[in-house]
Amino acid sequence: MSDARRRGLGLALALPPVVLLAVFVGIPVVLAVGFSLGHVGGLNATIARIGTDTRVATSWWGTTQAWADVFADPRFVRDLVVTVGVTVVSTVVVVATSLGIALNLRLRGGRLATAFAGLAVVPLFIPVVIASWAITTFYSSDGAVRTAAALVGLDGPTWSYSVTAVVIGSVWTSLPFATLMASSGLQAVPDAMIEAARDAGASTASLVVRVMLPLAAVPVVIATTFTAIGVLGQFTVPYFTGPNAPSVLGVDISKYFQSFDRPQESVVMAVVVFVLASGVGAVYVGTAFRSAQTAGRA
Amino acid sequence: MTSSPSLSSARASSAPDPAPSSRGVAGPPSLAVAGLTKRLGGRTVVDALDLSLQPGELVALLGPSGCGKTTTLRMVAGFLEPDAGTVTVGGRDVTALGPDRRPSAMVFQNYALWPHLTVFANVAFPLRLRRLPRAEVTERVTAVLEMVGLAHHARSRPAQISGGEQQRAALARAVVQEPDLLLLDEPLSNLDAQLRVRVREEIREIQQRLGITTVMVTHDQEEALAVSDRVAVMNGGRIEQIGTPSDVYADPATSFVASFIGSMNVLAGPDLASARAAGVAGPSAGPAPDETWAVRPEHVAFSPRAGGPAVVRRVLPHGHVTELVLGVDALELRSVVTGEAPRPGDQGDVALRRVRHYRAGLLVGDGHGGGGR
Amino acid sequence: MRALLLGRRAATAVLLVLVAVFVLGPLLWLAAHAFATRWTYPSLLPDGLTLHWWSVVLEDAQLGAAVRNSLYFAPLTVLVSAVVCLPAAYAFSRFDFPGRRLFLVGLFATNAFPKMGLFVSMASLFYGLHLMNTVAGVVIVQFVGTVVFMTWIPAAAFSSVPRALEEAARDAGAGPLRTFVRVTLPLALPGVLVAVLMSFLAAFDEAQGTYLVGAPVYMTMPTEMYSLVLNYPKQVAAVFAILLSIPSVALLLLARRAVLGGRLAEGFQIR
Repeated sequence: MSDARRRGLGLALALPPVVLLAVFVGIPVVLAVGFSLGHVGGLNATIARIGTDTRVATSWWGTTQAWADVFADPRFVRDLVVTVGVTVVSTVVVVATSLGIALNLRLRGGRLATAFAGLAVVPLFIPVVIASWAITTFYSSDGAVRTAAALVGLDGPTWSYSVTAVVIGSVWTSLPFATLMASSGLQAVPDAMIEAARDAGASTASLVVRVMLPLAAVPVVIATTFTAIGVLGQFTVPYFTGPNAPSVLGVDISKYFQSFDRPQESVVMAVVVFVLASGVGAVYVGTAFRSAQTAGRA
Repeated sequence: MTSSPSLSSARASSAPDPAPSSRGVAGPPSLAVAGLTKRLGGRTVVDALDLSLQPGELVALLGPSGCGKTTTLRMVAGFLEPDAGTVTVGGRDVTALGPDRRPSAMVFQNYALWPHLTVFANVAFPLRLRRLPRAEVTERVTAVLEMVGLAHHARSRPAQISGGEQQRAALARAVVQEPDLLLLDEPLSNLDAQLRVRVREEIREIQQRLGITTVMVTHDQEEALAVSDRVAVMNGGRIEQIGTPSDVYADPATSFVASFIGSMNVLAGPDLASARAAGVAGPSAGPAPDETWAVRPEHVAFSPRAGGPAVVRRVLPHGHVTELVLGVDALELRSVVTGEAPRPGDQGDVALRRVRHYRAGLLVGDGHGGGGR
Repeated sequence: MRALLLGRRAATAVLLVLVAVFVLGPLLWLAAHAFATRWTYPSLLPDGLTLHWWSVVLEDAQLGAAVRNSLYFAPLTVLVSAVVCLPAAYAFSRFDFPGRRLFLVGLFATNAFPKMGLFVSMASLFYGLHLMNTVAGVVIVQFVGTVVFMTWIPAAAFSSVPRALEEAARDAGAGPLRTFVRVTLPLALPGVLVAVLMSFLAAFDEAQGTYLVGAPVYMTMPTEMYSLVLNYPKQVAAVFAILLSIPSVALLLLARRAVLGGRLAEGFQIR
């Protein structure tokens, strides 16, 4: 088959999911961004009518008035800070934990290490809805934590319906994927590299920092960015486990649309999250491409 | 060293393509490649290659890496589309056909046995594709497995058998198709040295018994000389010389072929002139300034004599022969002797029995005294 | 020296217990509630054990319908996803065409937009296309979450099949489709199965979009869970939670070796 025909065939085979996503995700994204800028015609007409205080576009590219409204609202700014904070803390905890488990598995091995890794993967198979509800009841005022504390005469903390529970829930649900990434990345580091470093006199700490992590950089970056993107926009975990105020943006988006009848502001927040998530995603893409290039795959 | 010679003058000075003596009636060629050209990554990897094989003969494509031999083979097999030229098998132009429609069968360098199938299933695969009746498939596969000595491994998986056995399985899979053309891609390069000698003879024996026209790609000149009817020495995308192993060894048409086949002492004019002055005996006519001389080690004769101009620098035993590294002034010559060998430090005379003269890479003279052949 | 080793062992054991409590604690606590008559704080055990709540759930028609819907939509979505995405995965793996990298990254980028915000605009689109409250609409919504798994992971699996094996099949006389079916697919199957597994979980757990498009006509288990939690006693939610987890856990046990292998990480490298 000639090169041109091969290219054509490849393109044809790859198009179906791309087209489907372009229609069912791409168009809504474009609509959303447009609506946030005040374009209320066409498919945006219905939600524009439902909403109260919808800002309409004043020029060809739209208006920033809706954006100004949102950013002027102190509750939004507070929620934005909380969202970013929860994301950062959760991501750090997840990456640290998954790296610890993966390094332990790689360097020490044995049944204990496998047990850790196995535990970390369990949440993968529990639906997020269930997980959120389970965590809420576990850390609630009559939950297991307080019950255990009461047994020894202490007054245990109630973390449910607080930002702490959101972090706990985010860590719980993100741990499996990050652990899988980290452990397979570290398993791929050849024994010979580790032995050479030890032979040259490296302590475990140097070995990890100077040899293993650089070699496993891409999967670790993947774990970090996927976790961050996932936590940034999540809805279910904070909906069940978090407080009414402050809430994270994922919940706000739903609240502003369904409860407050302010779809445009809801969409502005969605775009804000999208921009943040894309920024994180760009880090992943950049790293992955650079590593592919140095490995000769690009 | 010197630049690549032009095809036509090189071919003109070598022997005409002989019909294979080992078998077959000389008739229409089994494989005819005409003007085959391929450019990859801005480089012309195969340059207007012509080649034709008579039925039943084994031709080796021999050359260093990058000379285009594997690319040529893959174009014959159908995995690569040539930029120009045609491939004709058994009188039929197959250039436009994919590898599945061509009457050729290939043995891959790393065997490419399917790990999820048994040896039997691997060999039966092409027959089952053609929807042959089960009894016939079993019969043919069993016969071929017995021929290559793998009948006892029919139910094993590729991972469970040795490298040599995997190679035979790959060969069986190709041969069971009863192809018009058998293509071997460096079949021995993954085997260890001793196995290589044995396996190459087995391959040759099977090929001759079945009379299948075969093209074998290799970078190992010893292997090519040992099993082929003809050897095509390739360099820079072209065939520099094609001929029987003895022709190519004894009469290399270009300096590239001379230094690639067997071992060769290559002497440029000024060095040799100074050696002549020191007393090395050779052809009566001295070297022209732009000439290169090539002398096989077996044609460098060392006779011990105290006070002679040459001195034995090193003695390298190779078991069946002994290689001597001789020094005459700044010139270093290699010689081979059988039987008793001199010792390092011995002095003696050196005579060059047969010298081939090359100018600009092309053969211009032979033996004692100049002139063409 | 001995003391240090013992100390380290003890520390690791304590750590293991902490991690086990962190991961398994909430699940066990919730599961216990499914069998509790009542559970008064601060007792460590329920007041009594009963299967009463199970009959409440299993006899509830609405909940039963939700279970059936989940088991209908998720496999259907995975099937649609496989048919649409596997050829694309093969193309990403074996062909070089303009826009290949762009599409690959683009498919992943669709995950970056927060689902809730997406569904708001999706609603407008679905209304316009008359897909609200239809089977096709629900399938599409669940499909979107499976695309990354069904393209990236199989693409890596296909790439790991050595080309020589495919060439050998072509040389033996197999056309491109036969080569794919007999050589490429069997060898890439573990990776494809991981992709199928992850896609099933994604489709099965999909709640917000399904709620938006499907309610009130098509309720699945996750969407039902939202209202359950708010309107029923804890024990009912606990029973439902166990039911909802059964397919996932069953798949976990069947596929744990495949998932714990290196396939998942391989799937997310860009080539």
